[in-house]
Amino acid sequence: MRKLKTLLASALVSLAFGGTAIAQEEEAAAPPLNEFPREETLIINNPEPPAINPGMFNMWVAGNGAAWSNGLHQLALDTLWFIDPDAGLEGALYNQLAKEPWQYNDDFTEMTVHLREGILWSDGEEFTADDVVFTVETQMKTPGMVWSAPFSEYVESVEAVDDYTVHFTLKEPNSRFHSNFSVRWNAAWIMPEHIFSKVEDVTAYDFNPPVGLGPYTLHSFDPNGYWYIWEKREDWDKTALAQWGEPGPKYVIYRSIPSTDSRLIEMVNGNLDMIHDLTPEGMFSLIKQSPTSRGWFPGFPYAHPDPTLPMVIFNHQNEKFQDKRVRWALALMLDARAISMASYRGAATLSAIAIPPTGTHPRDYHAPLQDWLTDYELDTGTRKIKPYDPTIGLQVADMVRPQFGDEVPTDEEAIRTAFGYGWWKQDIEAATELLEAAGFTKQGNQWMMPDGQPFAFTLNTFQEGVINRMGTMIAQQWSQQGIQVTAEADPEIYRSTLPLGQYEAATAWSIETWGGDPDLSFFLDSWHSDYVAEPGERQPHRNWQRWKNPQLDEIIEEVRKTEFTDPRNLELGHEFVKLMVDEMPVIPVMSFNVFSAYDTRYWTGFPTAEEDPYANIVTNWANSKYILTQLKPAKQ
Amino acid sequence: MKDYLTFALKRFLQLLAVVFTGISVAFFVSYLSPISPVETIIGRVAGQSAYSPEAIESLRQTLTELFGLNVPLHERYFNFLGRFLVGDLGPSLLAFPTPAMKLVMLALPWTVGLLTVSTILTWLIGNILGGLAGYYQNSRLLKAFGVVAIGIQPIPYYIVAFLMVIIFGFLWPVLPISGGFSMNVRPSWSPEFAVSILRHAILPAASLVIVGLGTWFLGMRALVSNIVTEDYVTYAELAGVKRERIVSSYVIRNAIVPQLTALAMALGGIFSGTIITEQVFSYPGLGTLLVRAVNAGDSAVVLAVSCIAVIAVATAIFLIDLLHPLLDPRIKAE
Amino acid sequence: MFSVFRDLIRYNIEFTIGVVLVGVIVAFSLLSFASPVDPTAIYTTIPDMPPSAEFWFGTNSRGQDLFWQLTFAFRNTLFFGLTVAVLSRIISITVGLTAGYLGGWTDRTLMFFNDIFVAIPIFPILILFYFVLRNNLDMMKLALIMACFGWPFDARLIRSVALGLKHREFTRHAVFAGMSPARIMYEEHLPYVMPIVFSTAMANMIWSIGLEVTLAVLGFTNINVPTVGTALYWANNHSAMVVGVWWWIVIPVVLIVMTFLGLFLLAVSMNEYIDPRSRLRRMGA
Repeated sequence: MRKLKTLLASALVSLAFGGTAIAQEEEAAAPPLNEFPREETLIINNPEPPAINPGMFNMWVAGNGAAWSNGLHQLALDTLWFIDPDAGLEGALYNQLAKEPWQYNDDFTEMTVHLREGILWSDGEEFTADDVVFTVETQMKTPGMVWSAPFSEYVESVEAVDDYTVHFTLKEPNSRFHSNFSVRWNAAWIMPEHIFSKVEDVTAYDFNPPVGLGPYTLHSFDPNGYWYIWEKREDWDKTALAQWGEPGPKYVIYRSIPSTDSRLIEMVNGNLDMIHDLTPEGMFSLIKQSPTSRGWFPGFPYAHPDPTLPMVIFNHQNEKFQDKRVRWALALMLDARAISMASYRGAATLSAIAIPPTGTHPRDYHAPLQDWLTDYELDTGTRKIKPYDPTIGLQVADMVRPQFGDEVPTDEEAIRTAFGYGWWKQDIEAATELLEAAGFTKQGNQWMMPDGQPFAFTLNTFQEGVINRMGTMIAQQWSQQGIQVTAEADPEIYRSTLPLGQYEAATAWSIETWGGDPDLSFFLDSWHSDYVAEPGERQPHRNWQRWKNPQLDEIIEEVRKTEFTDPRNLELGHEFVKLMVDEMPVIPVMSFNVFSAYDTRYWTGFPTAEEDPYANIVTNWANSKYILTQLKPAKQ
Repeated sequence: MKDYLTFALKRFLQLLAVVFTGISVAFFVSYLSPISPVETIIGRVAGQSAYSPEAIESLRQTLTELFGLNVPLHERYFNFLGRFLVGDLGPSLLAFPTPAMKLVMLALPWTVGLLTVSTILTWLIGNILGGLAGYYQNSRLLKAFGVVAIGIQPIPYYIVAFLMVIIFGFLWPVLPISGGFSMNVRPSWSPEFAVSILRHAILPAASLVIVGLGTWFLGMRALVSNIVTEDYVTYAELAGVKRERIVSSYVIRNAIVPQLTALAMALGGIFSGTIITEQVFSYPGLGTLLVRAVNAGDSAVVLAVSCIAVIAVATAIFLIDLLHPLLDPRIKAE
Repeated sequence: MFSVFRDLIRYNIEFTIGVVLVGVIVAFSLLSFASPVDPTAIYTTIPDMPPSAEFWFGTNSRGQDLFWQLTFAFRNTLFFGLTVAVLSRIISITVGLTAGYLGGWTDRTLMFFNDIFVAIPIFPILILFYFVLRNNLDMMKLALIMACFGWPFDARLIRSVALGLKHREFTRHAVFAGMSPARIMYEEHLPYVMPIVFSTAMANMIWSIGLEVTLAVLGFTNINVPTVGTALYWANNHSAMVVGVWWWIVIPVVLIVMTFLGLFLLAVSMNEYIDPRSRLRRMGA
C-alpha cells in the first residue's frame, strides 16, 4: 500500500515538473514575435465577435458575413467625407476623397463633388470619378447591396464630368444627400471599379485580398476570424489620409476578444493597446493595475460619451402615455443621481435635453440652453414650478469623490463636461399634482388611471450592461412611487420589440447625432409623421416612440430645405430641444458612455478629453483611423 | 452469426429512422425561431448610418426574397430534405450566399481536435485513478483525491475556466489565454505551428479535463468497488491469484465495458462544441458558431450544426449497440 | 425508520456530515421566505462591501445583500435541480423498466424515441425556448424542458439492468404467480434499480444545474430570477473576478460544493447501509 502511495506521489511530482519543463522548452522553441516588432505594431481590440465569414471582405453586400470593424472600414476603405463625433483634427468635417465640401444647386436636386487628385488604390491604380460612378451605379442595379436602397431611392443619374468631378442628379430635392458619403460610424465606401467591373457576380465576390484607398493593406488574417493584421502601404502618401500625417504604426492588428475581462488582462500584459469597451468596474480596476492605461477622461468618469442618447421611450400608440402631464410626472419621479450611480457607478454624463451631451453639442446646445432650462416653468395644474436643477452633475461628483478622490475633477467646467449640465430635480409633490390633474388617483400606495385600472406597465430594457442597470433602476423608482413597473431584459429590443411597437415603455435610444456637428438630420428626418407606422405595423428606424407632432414636422421640413452648414440649423435644433422639453415624448437621461481604454506603453499621441479631443477612441468607429496619424512610438 | 447480421440490419434501419426524425425536429426547431435574420442584417446596415426609412423597407423586401423566407414552411422542409440527401445544407443567412457547411467546416477541426483529446485524456486519467481508488479503498491519497473530485465536480465550468485564465494569464502569465495559435505563425505542417497549437490548447484542455475528471473517477470507483466485493474476486484472492492478474483480468475487464460505452457517447456528443470554453479562451469552434447563428436567426447554420450533432450521436449509439454483444458475451443480440 | 436514522448518525460519520451539510443548505434556502429584502431590487445597500458582521456574505456591485440574495438563488436552484431530477427519473424508470421487461416492439419503439432525445442537440433548443418565452421562462418551465432531455441516458442504463433481471429466477416466479407486468416492474424490479436511480439523480442534478449556469452566464435565462447561474451572470457583468469582489463568486461556489458534497455523502452512506458487503470491507476485514 505504501509503495503505491510513493509511486503515485512521485508520478504527480514528476508530472508537475515535467509539465513546466515542457512549457519552458516550448517558450524557447516558439519563434519570437519578430515578424511584428511590438514597438512598430499597434494592437487594437475589435468589439465584434470573431468574423463569421473570415475570408469575406466585400462589405458592399448586405448580410454576406463580411466583418467591418476588423480594420477593413477603418484602415483599408475610404469615402468622400468624414464628420467626426468629436472635435476633429482641424474641425469635425474632413474632406477625405473629396477635395472640398459638397456643392448643391439651389433647390438641392443636384450635387457636385470635386475629388482629390493623385490618390492611388493599394494596387497602384489611380482613383478617379469613375470609381464613384461605378459604386453608385452598381449598387443601384444590384438589389441587396448595402447602399442599393438609398441610391435607388434618391439618385436619378450620376456621371463623371471629368476624372475628378462627379455630378449627381437627384430624383427629388435632398439637402442631406451627402450624408450617404459622410462617415460618422460608417457610410457608403467607394468600390474599386477596376476590380469589380471584372467580376461576374458582384454579390458573390469575396474581394480577398481587399484593394483599398486607405494607408494600410491586409497582411494576413486568422482563418477563424479572430484577428486581422494590416500593414502600412509603402505609398501611404498617395492616400487621402496622408493629408493629416504619416500613420505611426507599421502594423496594426485588430483582435476579437469576446470576454471583456480577458481584454483587461491582455492590456495589463502589454498585448493590447486599445480596448473598445470594458465594464465600468473593469475600467476602474484597469486604471489601478496599469499606470500607463487611461480612458477618454484623465480621471473619473473615464468613459467616452458616444453621440447616442439613452432614454425612456414611451410608446405613443399606447393609451397610457397620451397625456404629456403623465410623461412629465414620470420624469419628475426619477432621481437622476441614483440612476447615474446604479447604471454607471456615477460615471454617466446626464442630459435633460434631447441632445447627447457629447462632441461639440455641449458648446452648441447644453451651455447656451442652460439659462433657458433653469428658468423653465412647468404648470402642474395647481402651481408653477421650475423643475430644472443645474447642480445635479456637481452632486454626483461629490457622491463619487469619497471613493475616487483625486480622480474626480473639481473644476466646475470639467465636471459639467464629464457629469452633465444638470437634470430634472426629483419632485414627487409636483409629480403627484400632475398625475392628479391628469385624472389619476392614488389608492394606498398605488396610482390608478382615470379609467380606474391600476397604473402598471412593463419597461423593456437591454439584456446586460449599463442600459440594463439603468432600466432596472428606473422601474424600481417608479414602483416605489406607486406605479407597478416591471423591467424586462429583452435581447430582441432593437430587432423586433421597438420596430414592431410591442412594448409599453423601453430604455433604449431613438436619438443619435453626428456628434461633431449641430445638424440633427442624422436621426431627426426619420421622425417625420409621414413615416409613423400604424399600430402593429413595423416602424422604420428611428422614431421608435411613434410620436407625431405638427410642430416637429415643421422643424423637419425646414431642416430639409436648409443647407447642412447653414447656421439656421442650430436655431432649428434649439427649437427642437424646446419642443421636446414641453412635450416630453421621451425622457432623455444621459449619453451612452463607452469604457474605452488605451495604453501608452508603446504608443503616445492618443486623443484626450481634456486637451486634444480630436477623434473618438471607440475603436470600431471608422473615424478612429485619424488617431494613427498622430501616434508616435513611446520609446525611440 | 446470421442472428447478429439480422440484428445489425434492424439496428441500422433504426439508425436511419433516428437520423431522419432528429434532423426533421432540428429543421422545425430552427425555422420556427422568432428571430429574423433579415432584421439582424438591417440592424447592422442601417443602425449606424443615415439610412432613410423608405430605403430600409426596400432592403427588407429584397433580403426576404433572397433568403427565400417568403416560401411556405412545408415547401422549405421538402427542399431541405432533398438537399440533405446530397449533403447540401443550403446557404448561410448570416454569410449569404456562403454555404452553411463551409462555415461549419472552418470551426469543426478545432472543436473535434480539442474535445477529442481532452475527452480521451479525461477518460484515461479519471478511469485509472478511479479504478485504483476502487481497488485500494484504504489509500488516504486516493480518498483525498476522491473528495477533491467530488468537490470540483459541481463548480460551474465557467468559474474553473476563468480561474485558469486569471492564474496562468494574469498572476503567473506563462501561457497564452486566447486564440487557437499565435499570430506570427501561419497554418502549415511545421513544428512551429504544431507547438503553437499545443501551447494554445493547454489551458482550454486543462480546464475541460479538470471539470470532467470527477464523473469518470467516481463512476469507475463505484464500478470497481462493486466488482471487488463480488464473490469471484474474493475467491480469487483467497486462492492466491496474483494481484496484477486479478486487477487486469477480473476487475478491469468487467468495469471497462460500461465506461467504454459512456466514452463513445461522450465522443459522439462533442459536435455541438463547448461555447463557454470558446468564449473564455477566444478559442475557435462550433459552439460560438452555433450560439451566434441562433442569436442572429441563421437557421441554415443552426440546422447544419444540429444535423452533424444528430448524425454523430446517433452513429455513436449505433456502434455501441453493435459492439456490445461482441464485448460482453452475457448480452444477447436482440 | 427513526432508529435507522439514529444508528446511521451514531456509527456513520459520513452520514452525519452529509445530513449536516444538506440540512444547512436547505435551512439557508428556506430563510428566503423570511427575507427582509426584495431580491429584484438593486442599490438597496452599499455596493462592494466584503463579508463583515453586518453583511455576512458581503454585498455585490448591484448593491444587494448577498446573504439574502443567495437564499433566493439556492432556493430556486435547488428546486430546479430536484424537479428536473425527479421528473426525469420518473420518465427514465418507466421507459427503462418497460423497455427492458417487455422487450420486442415495445423495446424498439421506446429506444427509438430514446435515441432521438439523446441525439437532438439540446443547447439551441434551450436558447430558442428562451427567445420565445423570455420573461415568462420561470424555473418550473425551464425544469420541465430540461426534464424532457434529462432522462434518455439513464433510461438506457436502467433498461440494461432490467434486461438482466428479466431472466432471473424471481421474475419467473412472479410471472407464474400471475403478477401483472406493471406490478412485477414496480414491486420486483424497481428495488434493484433504485441504487442506479439515486446515483444518476445526483449526476443529473449536476448536469441540469451546470446547464442552467451555462445558459445564465450567456444571458439565455430570465436573468431577473435569482439563481446560482444568474448570480454568476451578474458577477460576470460587473467583472467581479478581475475587480476583486471575490465573495460574489467564492461564496456561491462554496455553497454549491457543500450541497453536492452533502448529497454525495448521503448517497454513499445510504448505499453502504443497504449493501453490507462493502461495509465489511471498509472495516478492514
